[in-house]
Amino acid sequence: MTRRRAIYLVARREVRERGRSRAFLLSLVVTVALLLAGVFLPALIGGDRADRLGIVGAAPAGFSQAVSASATQAGTAVHVEAIGDVAAGESRLRDGSLNGLLVIPASGTPTYEVKERQNELLGQIVASSWSQLRVRDLLAQAGIGADQLAAAATPPTVRELEPSDPNRQTSFLFANVGVVLLFISIFTFGTWVLTGVVEEKQSRVVEVVLSTIEPRDLLIGKVVGIGLLGLVQLLVMVSVGLGAGLAAGRISLPPTTGVAVVQLILWFILGYGLYSTALGVLGALASRMEEASNASSPVSFIATGSYLFALLVVLNDPSGVAARVATFIPPVAPMVVPLRTALGAIEPWEIVLSVAVMLLTIWGLFVVGGRVYAGAVLRTTGRVRLRDAIRAARR
Amino acid sequence: MLEIRDLRKQYGPIVALDGATFTARRGRLMGFLGPNGAGKTTTMRCVFGLAAPDRGEVRWDGKPIDRLARLRFGYMPEQRGLYPRMRVGEQLSYFAQHHGLSSRAADAAALRWLERFELADRRTSKLEDLSHGNQQRVQLATALVHDPELLVLDEPFSGLDPIGIATMSDVLRERAAAGVAVLFSSHQLDLVEDLCEDVVIVARGRIVAEGRIEDLKEASGRRHLDVEVAGAGSSWLAARDDVVVIEQKGDRVRLLVGDSVDLDAVLVAARNAGPVRRFSFGPPALSELFMEAVQA
Repeated sequence: MTRRRAIYLVARREVRERGRSRAFLLSLVVTVALLLAGVFLPALIGGDRADRLGIVGAAPAGFSQAVSASATQAGTAVHVEAIGDVAAGESRLRDGSLNGLLVIPASGTPTYEVKERQNELLGQIVASSWSQLRVRDLLAQAGIGADQLAAAATPPTVRELEPSDPNRQTSFLFANVGVVLLFISIFTFGTWVLTGVVEEKQSRVVEVVLSTIEPRDLLIGKVVGIGLLGLVQLLVMVSVGLGAGLAAGRISLPPTTGVAVVQLILWFILGYGLYSTALGVLGALASRMEEASNASSPVSFIATGSYLFALLVVLNDPSGVAARVATFIPPVAPMVVPLRTALGAIEPWEIVLSVAVMLLTIWGLFVVGGRVYAGAVLRTTGRVRLRDAIRAARR
Repeated sequence: MLEIRDLRKQYGPIVALDGATFTARRGRLMGFLGPNGAGKTTTMRCVFGLAAPDRGEVRWDGKPIDRLARLRFGYMPEQRGLYPRMRVGEQLSYFAQHHGLSSRAADAAALRWLERFELADRRTSKLEDLSHGNQQRVQLATALVHDPELLVLDEPFSGLDPIGIATMSDVLRERAAAGVAVLFSSHQLDLVEDLCEDVVIVARGRIVAEGRIEDLKEASGRRHLDVEVAGAGSSWLAARDDVVVIEQKGDRVRLLVGDSVDLDAVLVAARNAGPVRRFSFGPPALSELFMEAVQA
């Protein structure tokens, strides 16, 4: 009976028992459902984003085409429809089925009506199309040919000096979703380690288990077993997310996708390793479930802070000083590094150094935390103070 | 052979063990007695490395105990505990594997012990769905599933009904007969007297008595005299100063006497008081030895 076999047995038990638990299956189903909803719902709900313009009266020839053309240039779409009278048009403005109403009198200047001045773009499109047509008519009357007009209307060609990444949007999406997935995964499964440790204490089974194996091996086995489940859930989420995104046509995979996924997995392992060990050690200090959340609150605080920092600071300025420094702070790094990578704002050496710092920290935590865990896990009466646990472990 | 040698363990200001020394032999049942807080649980925890003694050591077959030696021990802690939501059969197999059995051998052993305790049909039930008594049986099976050479059981009889006590007693006798060293603590002294050949009594962290129960009784200077004189109560004893009444139920009295008491004289006095229904002389019960030992 080697120590490795003991760790394997503990990890296998965690995978089997928790893998078929309702909690795990439920969390898997819910996250997959959320991902699918996130990918498909916008397409279903907001499928038709075109603005609707109603026209009362006779529009000049070619007006609809001019509106459509301007809309396309502005990166939007406008449906034009004829409306019988002003009253009908206004009531449709009020109920929101029209975004704008152009009333063209038999003679004189037309009126553009909106419910409230909100969609300035549609107004600009209508105004420019209208004046464009009027100017063209006047010029035509003045004897200027259609060819000349067309030549004059050709806009200058655009040349980009620093073309932006065509996948920028997708990268941004990946970075965002990646951080959320990491935070959820690390924290969910880290908390499982916490509750698992407390459950073993509370049910007193820990004394039976520790009569055959070392406390540190029990902690390692637990962290590894639950981590494998976390990894499975993460892989399912990533595959479902990417697959559904492709199927819905919402994303095209940039060439950096593979790297991003590998980084996501790497940083889940590192982040989970750090947080779950810390939570497991803190769990050993509690003797009942009610105390566990108290005992773990410093870690929850740090995790949430890191997550917010990544989303609020690093996402805005991924190459800034704050982001660079955070890359080397272990509790923050798991959310910062994948984000910077997905945004293409990190140097390879930064990643390597950050991983090294993480590994060292996890190792140190296992050495120190393992002692605390061993000193505290058999004390089943009341909350154990950190100092007492360390003192007990020295013996 | 389990040797406890000069164990000392202090928790803060409390001295849990203060030089405890005794030996438990293979093939024998040894009762581990002592008032609450005397150091029984701490001693057992020291055997399993769950508490590290400040001084002294525990040896098995002449060698200091390491992790591998412990795999051949079976333990039932005072505070019972198993995984509440784990299935009974898998749970037993899990612990058997932790003791070094292969996955297949562990499954077979788990089934064997569940059959022994008539729980085979509950092997796929979660532990928490079993009755309290059946959970206790699974706990015992956990200590036995790997055929240990040493069994250490902390209060194995507490909370058991008479049937459970009978089953537990049978199993312990059977294990001892198979050559296992069995050490268990209990407050049910009559049961211990019934079951064990050896006892060790601990008080305030020290061993105050150890050996075969018969030898301890023999060595005690105390003797009991049970006398029943119809209609006389204990009034006939009023004038005697060589006996002490330690118990009285109606006409029946239990007397504490020295081993040099003049039995004839007592019998004559009893006859004079009325018809004698009972007159029996013998060594003290284990419970009295216990009281004597821990109060000394």
